[in-house]
Amino acid sequence: MIETIRSVVSVLSAFVLPTLIVGFPLYGLIKGVRVYEVFVEGAKEGFDVAVTIIPYLIAILFAIGMFRASGAMDYLVNALDPVLGMIGVPAEVLPMGIVRPLTGSGSAGLVADMINQYGEDSLVVKMAATMFGSTETTFYVIAVYFGAVNIRDTRHAVPAGLFADFVGFLASVYVVQLLFG
Amino acid sequence: MLNYIWSGLIIGSLLFALTVDTQELVENRFRNDTPLPVALEIDEGYAPDARRQPVRIRIDSTPYAQMYGGDAVPEGTYSGTLVQTREGRKIEFSTDADLPEPLATIQSYHATDDNPALRGTLSSLTASPGTEQLRAAVQFEPVRFRKLRNIAQAALNFAETAASLALSLIGILGLMLGLVKIGEEAGLIEALTGIVQPLLNPLFPNVPRDHPALANISLNLLANVFGLGNAATPLGIKAMEDLQDLNPSDDTATDDMVMLLALNTSSVQLVPPSLLVAIMGLQINQLFFSITLATLFSTIAGILGTLALHRVPYFRATSPHRSDDASETPSA
Repeated sequence: MIETIRSVVSVLSAFVLPTLIVGFPLYGLIKGVRVYEVFVEGAKEGFDVAVTIIPYLIAILFAIGMFRASGAMDYLVNALDPVLGMIGVPAEVLPMGIVRPLTGSGSAGLVADMINQYGEDSLVVKMAATMFGSTETTFYVIAVYFGAVNIRDTRHAVPAGLFADFVGFLASVYVVQLLFG
Repeated sequence: MLNYIWSGLIIGSLLFALTVDTQELVENRFRNDTPLPVALEIDEGYAPDARRQPVRIRIDSTPYAQMYGGDAVPEGTYSGTLVQTREGRKIEFSTDADLPEPLATIQSYHATDDNPALRGTLSSLTASPGTEQLRAAVQFEPVRFRKLRNIAQAALNFAETAASLALSLIGILGLMLGLVKIGEEAGLIEALTGIVQPLLNPLFPNVPRDHPALANISLNLLANVFGLGNAATPLGIKAMEDLQDLNPSDDTATDDMVMLLALNTSSVQLVPPSLLVAIMGLQINQLFFSITLATLFSTIAGILGTLALHRVPYFRATSPHRSDDASETPSA
């Protein structure tokens, strides 16, 4: 059963990105969008986004880098490994689980950093990347959405958001384990 | 929150580094002032006048273990060079030598870009010219506060990495954002709103059926589903404003607002965020399904969790709709 899912996924995987790259312009063309101009207009934002995230990346990456260089990360990973191991979570992905709800660019940096350290084909990188894709910068969203309408008492928004993130975190671990483990 | 975690990381690394360094100083882990006995083999014979001579350095495991303790064992002979300097004779291990601990650490501590090799000063070298085998002792430079130096170095290196990483993402980010813009202009989201809207009714019980809030909520959620982060945020804010219009309170969130937030943070993702595509490159192909699947679980859990939290007595008591429940909900 799992084997079938895996092979179906690996076949379908090859089509997703090409479909996206061709599909969006094709759909736009059918709808009468001036696809070329619109594409260029959107692509311009790529530069802005990249430049905007630089300060956030620096802040998170250097702090994480220091933490690892001090040896504290290894210590933490070793200490938490047996606890997390009981629920099947590798300790290497824990930093991702902590950083993800707080900063989007920072956790993107973390994924990039993990690729350097564990290789992009490794299971933990796939888990971390899936986490990045499947959870949200909850505190940022709360700040922006509620800030926009001046809500000060957010009631159960934080626990609700964090609960969703936590389930996303666990689901990423198990789904990646199931598909690639 | 992030302020505390961030400063915690920095202060934590400093404290941890200091602890390790102090411990190493106290137990003199690197035997800073003790020379290591070695045997040198010089094929061409010892020449006191030569500036550089290739040598083989043999480290016996017994004195090594006695001196440094630990499990690492030297593997017999290492190739190196005997160097004549102003400060006396030095021995230089070849850079590709696979040195045992703690020699490897001493090497990396003193390594510079110009000279990454492990070097030590020879003492008690007494040999007549032409000798092929001789015994000596090597004194390495002292190692102190290496972790402290490491964290400072890491801070500099990672700051540089961060900037170059961000710049290297420009290309793929541009591609993704360009495609996404086409989807936006083509009305991909609006086309699907009709399907989603009926599903949302039960989740937002305080929004009247024909209220525009529902349309904006579905637009926001669909933008999330298609990874249109830039479009999702303004739509979400718009939906929030609609919900605020329905809110009897000025500054307290309604259940519906919390639900909108939970749906946003757990949202199903069919197209991953552009930033992730830029970082993962083609590897992202494999991850589309794991992300979709994981978000499917988190969305269901997010909805159920939020519905459960609605019922927690404390949150029920603070709901802006609570006092109006009897009077203002005619068709329950």
